[in-house]
Amino acid sequence: MVEAEEGEIYDIELEADLLKENEKLAEKNRALLQKHRVLAIDVMGATGAGKTTLIEKLVKALKGKYRIAALKGDLTTTIDAELISRHGVEVVPINTGKECHLDANLVKKALQKLALEDINLLFIENVGNLICPADFPLGSERRIVVVSVTEGPYMIVKHPFIFMDADVVVINKIDLAEPMKIDVKKLERDVQTINPDAHVVKTNGRSGEGVKEVVSALEL
Amino acid sequence: MHEFSMTTKIVESVLEEARKRDAKKVLAVHLVIGKLTFLGIEQVRFSYDVLVKGTIMEGSKLHIEEKDGIVHCALCGYKGSLEYEDDPVYHVPTPTLVCPKCGSKVQIAAGKECTIKSVKLAVQ
Repeated sequence: MVEAEEGEIYDIELEADLLKENEKLAEKNRALLQKHRVLAIDVMGATGAGKTTLIEKLVKALKGKYRIAALKGDLTTTIDAELISRHGVEVVPINTGKECHLDANLVKKALQKLALEDINLLFIENVGNLICPADFPLGSERRIVVVSVTEGPYMIVKHPFIFMDADVVVINKIDLAEPMKIDVKKLERDVQTINPDAHVVKTNGRSGEGVKEVVSALEL
Repeated sequence: MHEFSMTTKIVESVLEEARKRDAKKVLAVHLVIGKLTFLGIEQVRFSYDVLVKGTIMEGSKLHIEEKDGIVHCALCGYKGSLEYEDDPVYHVPTPTLVCPKCGSKVQIAAGKECTIKSVKLAVQ
């Protein structure tokens, strides 16, 4: 709508939502993945929380049942991508350079590098960050947030928004809860307060404890 | 957290609109930013001032309207502001997606937007 005002001054209503641009691209990614019957799972969490280790364990547990690939977001390195690909699955590393999160456009480009007809399960590991990914949906069907007890007792309440869209919240390094003096029940309650529908699973990524429960929480 | 890149997009969009309409100057920009985004108002203003320098947007007035989080419950029909759980342990109340009426999970209906609502242009 254009309204003329005072001769040469125009008030123009734009209603252009800039975050919506990302959402629209995310919807396209979702449609593309659905068309190829690929279930995409977004894995988010801070650096060092155990995202890559969890994906490695999930790949190991599921590679007999699914044809798996992964997208791996990272600022600069491909270390994690190599960790995942040694399990015999294709990994497309996405180096964001300076950007603190993956966005739908980067995922769209990465999806073009995969033979989607050859896979049916895709893990998308986001950049280690609990803040920015919350504003940028990617088009995945399910979302996991990984936290670890070594990140302290207030990890969840300090970053509530990322947990709002989570389907599964993994509390990792559970073997260190006692030495770290972390009340895991409190962490679980924090998640339930923010998002009552999220499944909370406690894991020890190194030993593989709890991975089975993550698989069933993801309905895989 | 990504105010600079978002504000870059905002400035680019406004300049594009101004070009399309042959504007000589941008006088004002009206933004709507949802409180459930990670965009800090201070940082947006700072980025804006830096980015508009030397363009026809320099000196324009930036209005920022903050929009509260609104949630909707599919189960009981509750629609209203996002509730916060006030735990005395924490300094800042925790936002909750628990429906205040029926206890099930609500969906976010508003509060995640970053919209250029309108711009005021001078064409002469």
